[in-house]
Amino acid sequence: MVELETVPPFFADKQELLDEILGRYPEYGRRSAVMPLLREVQHAERYVSEARLAEIGEIVGMHATEVKGVMSFYSEYHGEPVGTYHLQVCSTLSCSLAGSDELYDYLVEKLGIVNGEVDAEGRFSLQKVECLGSCGSGPVIQVNDTYYERVSRSRCDALIEALSRDEVPEPWRARGGDNEGADKADFLMHTVAAGEGETR
Amino acid sequence: MKVTINDVSMDFAPGTSVIDAVFAAGYDVPYFCSQEYMSPIGACRMCLARVGAPRKDREGNWILDEETGEPKIFYFPNMMATCTTQVMEGMVVDTLSDDVKRVQNGMVEFTLINHPLDCPVCDKGGACELQDRAYEYGTGESRFVFDKRHQEKHHPLSEVITLDRERCIHCKRCVRYFEEVPGDGVLDFIERGGHTYIGTLEDGLPSNFTGNITDICPVGALLDTTSRFRGRNWEYDHTRSTGMDDAGGSAIVIDARTGRIERIKGALNPEVNKTWIDDGTRFGHEYVDADDRLRSPLVRKDGELVPATWEEAAQVVRDRLGGLSGKDIGIALRADATLEEGVAAKALAEALGTGQLDHAPRPAASVVPQQAPATLTDLATADAIFVVGDVTEEVPIADLRIKDALKGVTPPEMMAHGVPIADLRLKEHPVFHRERLSVAAPYRVDLMKHAGRTASYPAGGEAALFAALQAIAEAQDAKAEDAEAAAVQLDDGQRAALGMSLADAEALVRGLREADNAVVVIGGFVLATRAAAAAAATFAKAVGAKQLILGPMANSYGLELLHVGPSHDRYAYPGMLEGARALILSNLDPAQDPDVRATLEQKDFLVVHDLFLTETAKIADVVLPARSVYERDGTTVNLEGRFLPLQAAPVDAGESEDFVGVVGALGDALGQRLEGRSVRSARRVLRKRFELDPAELGPSGELYRPKGRPAPRVSIRSDEAVGGNVLVTPSMLRVEYLERNPHLLALSGGSRLRVNPADAAQHGLGDGEAVSLRVGGVVRRARVRLDAGVPAGLMLLPTLPEQPVGLAHADLATLTRDERELEVAG
Amino acid sequence: MSDVADATTPITSRHDPRYEVVMYRHVGIDGAWTLDYYRGHGGYASARKALTTMTPAQVIDEVKASKLRGRGGAGFPTGVKWSFMPPVDGRQRLLVVNADESEPGSFKDRYIMEDDPHQLIEGIIIGCYAIQATKAFIYIRGEYGLGYRRLVQAVEEARAAGILGKNALGSDVEVDITVHRGAGAYICGEETALMNSLEGLRGNPRLKPPFPAQAGVYGLPTTINNVTTMTSVVHIIERGADWFASMGTEDSKGTKLYQISGTVVRPGVYELPMGATFRELIYDLAGGPKGEAKGFFPGGSSTPPFPWRDEFLDMPMDYGTLANSGSMLGTGGVIVIPKEKDIVDAMYNVVRFYAHESCGKCTPCREGISTWLPKMYQKLLAGLGTREDLDLMEDMVRNTRGTAFCPLADACAMPVQASFKWFRDEYEYLVDHGTPMYTKNDWWEA
Ligand SMILES: Cc1cc2nc3c(=O)[nH]c(=O)nc-3n(C[C@H](O)[C@H](O)[C@H](O)COP(=O)(O)O)c2cc1C
Ligand code: SF4
Ligand code: FES
Repeated sequence: MVELETVPPFFADKQELLDEILGRYPEYGRRSAVMPLLREVQHAERYVSEARLAEIGEIVGMHATEVKGVMSFYSEYHGEPVGTYHLQVCSTLSCSLAGSDELYDYLVEKLGIVNGEVDAEGRFSLQKVECLGSCGSGPVIQVNDTYYERVSRSRCDALIEALSRDEVPEPWRARGGDNEGADKADFLMHTVAAGEGETR
Repeated sequence: MKVTINDVSMDFAPGTSVIDAVFAAGYDVPYFCSQEYMSPIGACRMCLARVGAPRKDREGNWILDEETGEPKIFYFPNMMATCTTQVMEGMVVDTLSDDVKRVQNGMVEFTLINHPLDCPVCDKGGACELQDRAYEYGTGESRFVFDKRHQEKHHPLSEVITLDRERCIHCKRCVRYFEEVPGDGVLDFIERGGHTYIGTLEDGLPSNFTGNITDICPVGALLDTTSRFRGRNWEYDHTRSTGMDDAGGSAIVIDARTGRIERIKGALNPEVNKTWIDDGTRFGHEYVDADDRLRSPLVRKDGELVPATWEEAAQVVRDRLGGLSGKDIGIALRADATLEEGVAAKALAEALGTGQLDHAPRPAASVVPQQAPATLTDLATADAIFVVGDVTEEVPIADLRIKDALKGVTPPEMMAHGVPIADLRLKEHPVFHRERLSVAAPYRVDLMKHAGRTASYPAGGEAALFAALQAIAEAQDAKAEDAEAAAVQLDDGQRAALGMSLADAEALVRGLREADNAVVVIGGFVLATRAAAAAAATFAKAVGAKQLILGPMANSYGLELLHVGPSHDRYAYPGMLEGARALILSNLDPAQDPDVRATLEQKDFLVVHDLFLTETAKIADVVLPARSVYERDGTTVNLEGRFLPLQAAPVDAGESEDFVGVVGALGDALGQRLEGRSVRSARRVLRKRFELDPAELGPSGELYRPKGRPAPRVSIRSDEAVGGNVLVTPSMLRVEYLERNPHLLALSGGSRLRVNPADAAQHGLGDGEAVSLRVGGVVRRARVRLDAGVPAGLMLLPTLPEQPVGLAHADLATLTRDERELEVAG
Repeated sequence: MSDVADATTPITSRHDPRYEVVMYRHVGIDGAWTLDYYRGHGGYASARKALTTMTPAQVIDEVKASKLRGRGGAGFPTGVKWSFMPPVDGRQRLLVVNADESEPGSFKDRYIMEDDPHQLIEGIIIGCYAIQATKAFIYIRGEYGLGYRRLVQAVEEARAAGILGKNALGSDVEVDITVHRGAGAYICGEETALMNSLEGLRGNPRLKPPFPAQAGVYGLPTTINNVTTMTSVVHIIERGADWFASMGTEDSKGTKLYQISGTVVRPGVYELPMGATFRELIYDLAGGPKGEAKGFFPGGSSTPPFPWRDEFLDMPMDYGTLANSGSMLGTGGVIVIPKEKDIVDAMYNVVRFYAHESCGKCTPCREGISTWLPKMYQKLLAGLGTREDLDLMEDMVRNTRGTAFCPLADACAMPVQASFKWFRDEYEYLVDHGTPMYTKNDWWEA
C-alpha cells in the first residue's frame, strides 16, 4: 500500500471563517464560495496545493478537477508557492509609458530573479502582470495585496530594502495629478507585520 | 416559423436552432463544438453564417423594402453562430456566399494552427471531423509559420482513455459531456486563453460512463486505449448491434478488423441509450479475443478432451443421450441468450421430451411488470423517481436516463436529418433537480450522489421496506378521506425497515403520488424474493407510479416472455444440476462451486457450450465452442419489453456456434428438423408467438406489450428472505470475463470484495489485498476494497451468472490471502 | 475642493473650475470612506428620498428621464435596462455591480471604492429598490485589495447602522450586499463571464439569451451595472433627472469620469460633463502631452486609437460622436501615445494584454488573438517581418472581427486595425529596415 502523505485540512480549525464565507452566498449558490476559499488558502500558504483543491471541492461540492479549472483561470492564484513578498509589476501600456519595463528590468537585476521565479530564500518572487488600474499613477508594484505606485528608482530601492528587513511600508498615497514629489521617497516608514491587514 | 435557407424555404418550430434549420433544408455548415444531446455553446465559431430577419415597426407592421414591397431583411452586423441562434419568422440564412466562405476558411485556419496534423499516425484519421471539414471548408494551406503549441501526447487520462493534448481543438464536448450527461465534473479545462488544455485532478476519471468522450471527440485527442494503434477507420467493419452486458439494450457498433473486435462504440437509439453507453459495455469486449478461446468442439476420449468436428461431437451427444429417458436431461442457457436461442432450446427440450429447461440467472420474481410498465423514455421524463437498488450497476443506461429526468428536458423531436444538432433547450452547467430522485439501497450506491433523498435499509429488508411505505401510503389515504384519521404510525420494526426518517418517507410517498409521471425502479435485491417484488408492485400501484424492473441479464425479459423455463420447480436451474442425469449447459459454469463440481462429475453425460474451457467444461464429456454476444444474429428484449436486433460482427470465432447452431447440429444428428435449427426458422416461431417480425425491427427496436394474463411462472428459489453475511451486488463489469479484459481489469483493479473498514480491521484485511473466499459455495477471488459506504457486518461482492444478486452466506473460515494474485500483483 | 497637487491629493487634483465635481467630491480626502464622514456630508439622503418618497417605478422613470447611459463601456441606457427586469414573481432578484475595472486606461471606479464606498452603497440601495432586488453583489477585481477592504468595512458599517439589512434606512425595503472578489481576469468584467465567475464557474462568457434580466446569476433575474453608473444614480435621484439631463450632448447626458494616462503632465481622473472635448481633457486639465504625442486611445485600450490631429482632439467625448468616428467612448480612458513610442511596440503591448486575457473559449480569440497575433508582433519586432506579414496580419485580424463569441476579440482587433490604418508607415519602416522607426526605450523618468 502506498503511504499517503496527509496534510491537516486547512479549514478544520477555521469553522467561523468558513461559516462567514459560506454565509455570503445562498445555499444553492454554495459553489460561489470557491473563489474566496481559494484566496484564503493562497493568502495563508502562498499557493494552492492539490490537497487544498480537493478540500475546497469537498466544501463547496465540486470535483477537485473543477476547482483546479477555476483556480487556474485566474492569475492571482498560484499552483507553486510564491515568495513572502510577491512583487507584481504591471506591464501594460500606460505603465509601460511610465517606465514599468525598466522598473521590471531593475528588479530583475536587483533581485536576481525573473518573471515567475522565487528567490533562493523564498522572500521575493516576481511576476509581470497586466493592467492593475494604476494607469494614472504608474509604474506600480503590487506587493501581495498592496499597491505601491509611482515607483521611482529611489522608492523602489527603499521598498525592497524595507521588505528585506521584513518591514512592510505603508504605501505612499501618491495619487498626485502630477509627478511633483514623486521621487521624494516620502512615504511613512510605518511598518506593519508582514501581510497584516490584507486578508480576503 | 418560415425560414429561408439559401434558396429553400421551410417551416420550423419556434426554438429550433438555425444550424438545424440549415441541415433540415439539405445544406451543410461545418461545426465542431455542437453535439447531439448536449448544450450548444457557440465556441468553435465554425458554423457562422450570414443571418437576417425582417423587423416590425412600432405599430407592429413589417418594415417593407421600398423597392420590392416585401418585408425588408435586416442583416445582423456580425456573422452569427448558427448553433446558438434561434429561427425567427421570415429569417433569411446565407451559408454559401463568399463572405461566409471567407470566415469559414479563417476558422479552419485558426483551428489548424496549433493542430499537429499528424493524421498519418492518428487513429482518428479517416473518421476525423477536423480532417473532413478542413478539406471541405479550408483553403488547404496554412500561413502559420511558427512552432505549434507543444503539449503532452500520450497522456493516459485513465486505464482506458488516452489523451493527446496537441490534437485537442477545445470544442469542450468532453468537458460538457461529463457535466451534463453523467453529471460528474471529472474533466475540465485548465488554464485559459491560448494555454487552455483539458485535464483532470481526479484519480483517473471516476465515472462509469467515461468512454463516450472517445465517441464524441471530433479529432483524435481522446482515444479508446483498448483500440489504440490497431487500425484505421476505413479498415474497420462496422456492425450495428445491441449491447448484451445488461438489460438496457443499448445500441452499439462493433468495429472489427481482420476478424477481430477492435472496439465497441455507442450507436443511436433515441428511445434507449440516445448515443451513450457505459464503460462495461464499451471496454468489456477483449475477452472475445483471448488466447484460450475455444475454436472447435472437444470430445472426451480416453479421459482426455480432444478436438473433434461438429458432426463427431453431435454424434457423441446423440449416442450418449440416446440411452437416457428424456426427462433425465437438463438444458440451461445463460440469460443473455437470444430469443432465437431460446426457441432452439425449447425445441430441443421438446424433442428430447424433457421439462428440465431453464435460463439463469433467473430471479425469484418476474422481471416483466404485471401493470403500468415504464419505458426508458418514461423514466427520462419522470418528475419523481424512486429507485430501490443499484441501478448504475444493474442497467447503467437507466442511470443516465434518470439524469435526463433530473435535468428536466424532454427528448428532442427528430428532424429530417436526425437528432437535432443544437437543441437550444439544453443549457451548459445544467441544474440537476435532485429533489426528483430518491434512492434506497442496503449500501451507498453511486446514484445517491445525485439523489435528493437517500435511504439505507437493512440488506434483505426489501419486502419490509415496501410494506412500511405501503403503510404510509394507506395512512395518507385515510387522512385524505378523513382529516380526523390518525397520523401515520409505524412500529419500530417498520421504521427501521425504512432506512430513512419517517418524515422523509412520508415526503417520498407524497412526492410519488403527487407527481404527474412517477416511476418506481425495482432492482435485483427486490426481485430476489417474490414477497418483496409483490410488495413493490402493490406500492407502485398505490402511489400511481409506473414500474421499471431491472432484470439481471440482457435477455431476462425475453426469455421469460418466451417461457424458456421448467415445467416444474424441481426442474429449475440449479435444481436440475442435482436431479438431471445429463446436462446441456450453455455459457454457465456451475462447477465453480466444488460441491456442485463433485455432483456434476457423477453425471452420466455433460455437454458444455461455452467460449472457454471453464471449470465445468473441464469435466464435460463434450465441449462445444460458443459464439460471443458480438458474434450472434438474433433478437433480445430489454427491460422495457423492447425487441432489439443483434447482428453478428465478422469476427473469426473458429467453428463457434450459438445455441441455434448447437440445436441445428444435434437435430441433424437426431435426424430431426427442429424448430430453431436456424435463425430463420426460430424467427418463424417468434413471429407467430409475438406478432412482430424480428427480421424487420427498426433501429429503435419495437416495444412489445404482452396481451392478456401471463402464463404462471415457475419460481426458482424458495420465497423466504435469506440471511447472509455477504451481499452479492449487481455489477456493470462482467466479472466472469474480467480477467480476460486486461484494460477493464486494470481500470477496476479486479473483482472487488468491499468491506467496511472496521470489519476489515477485525478480519485483518488491508485495502487492495487479494483474497479468496467461498460464498454460497462458489470460490470467489477478489481484491479487498475498504469502503465506508458498506454497512458493518456485511461484505459486498459482485454477481456472477451462477451467483445471483441478493444475500448469501460466506464461510469466513475459507477466507485466505490469494498468493497467486499477490504474485501477479508483484 | 483642493486645487493643489501634492503627494496626498487624489488623482483628480485639477479640475476645471467651471465644472462642479459631483461623484468625486469626496475622493482623495482622508477618512472620507467612513460612514460618519459620508453621513456628515449629506450621505444617504438620496437613498432615503427614493425609499420614502418614490415608488420603484418612479425611480426607474427618473433614471430613464435622466438619459443616463451605462458607464461600463457599452453605454446602454440604464433606466431602460432596469425596466427589462421581469414582473415581480416571488423569485429573488439580484443587482450585480460590475467593479471588475480591468480595461487598460480605466481607473475611475477604483477611487470611489477606496475613498467613497458609501456613495456606491447608496447607489446600490436605490438600484435595488428600483428593480426590487433584495440582494446585491459587488464583483470587484481581485487586485483592488484596498478597495475591497474599504467596501467590506463600509458594508459592515452600513449594516450595523441599519442602512442595509431587512429594513434598509428604517424602511420596509430589504437590501443586503455581498462583496465578491475576483482574482485576476479581465474577461470577468464582461457581464456574462462575471456571472459565471460569481457562481464559482470558470470565467468564460455565457450564451445570451437568456439575458441576465431573464436568467442571470443562479438563474435569477439580474441587473448588472457599472460602479459609476450606480453612483450617478445617487445624484440623479438627489437633484433630479432634469439637472442631469441638462448637462452633456444630445445622446450623452450628465457628468462622466474621464481618465487620462500615458505621457501627459497630470494623468488622472477628471469629472466633466459629457461632450467636453479631448483637447479640454488633455490640455486644460491634464496639462498636455509630455513631449510630442502622435496619437491616443479615446476610451481605453479597446477603443481604436486616433492620430494626433485637430479633428480628433476637438471631438466631443460622447457616445454618438465617437461611435460615428469609427471608434468608441468605451470607459472614457484616454491613453496618450508619445511620438517616441514605436506604434508596433505599443500595439504589441496592447495585443499581449488581450492575448493574456482571452478566456480561451472560442477559436478566433484563442488561436487568433491569444496565439497567432502576438507571435506576428514578436516576429516584426525581432526584425524578421516582411510586407507580406503585414498583409497576413491584416487579413487574419479581419477574420477575428465579428466572429468571436464575445466582444473581447473585437476589443483587440479593432485597435490593431486602426493602428494599421493610421500608422502603417511605422509597420512598413520596421519590416523594411528591420528596426523600428522609434527606438526610445527608457521611459522611467525617476
Ligand atoms: C471584455 C469586456 C470587459 C468588460 N469589463 C468591464 C468592466 O471591467 N467593468 C464594467 O463595468 N463593465 C465591463 N464591461 C461591460 C459589461 O459587460 C457590461 O456592459 C457593463 O457592466 C454594464 O454596466 P453599465 O450598463 O452600467 O455600463 C466589459 C465588457 C467586455 C466585453
Ligand atoms: S472572444 Fe472568445 S475566447 Fe475571447 S474572451 Fe470572448 S469568449 Fe473568450
Ligand atoms: S460555434 Fe461550434 S457549432 Fe456553432
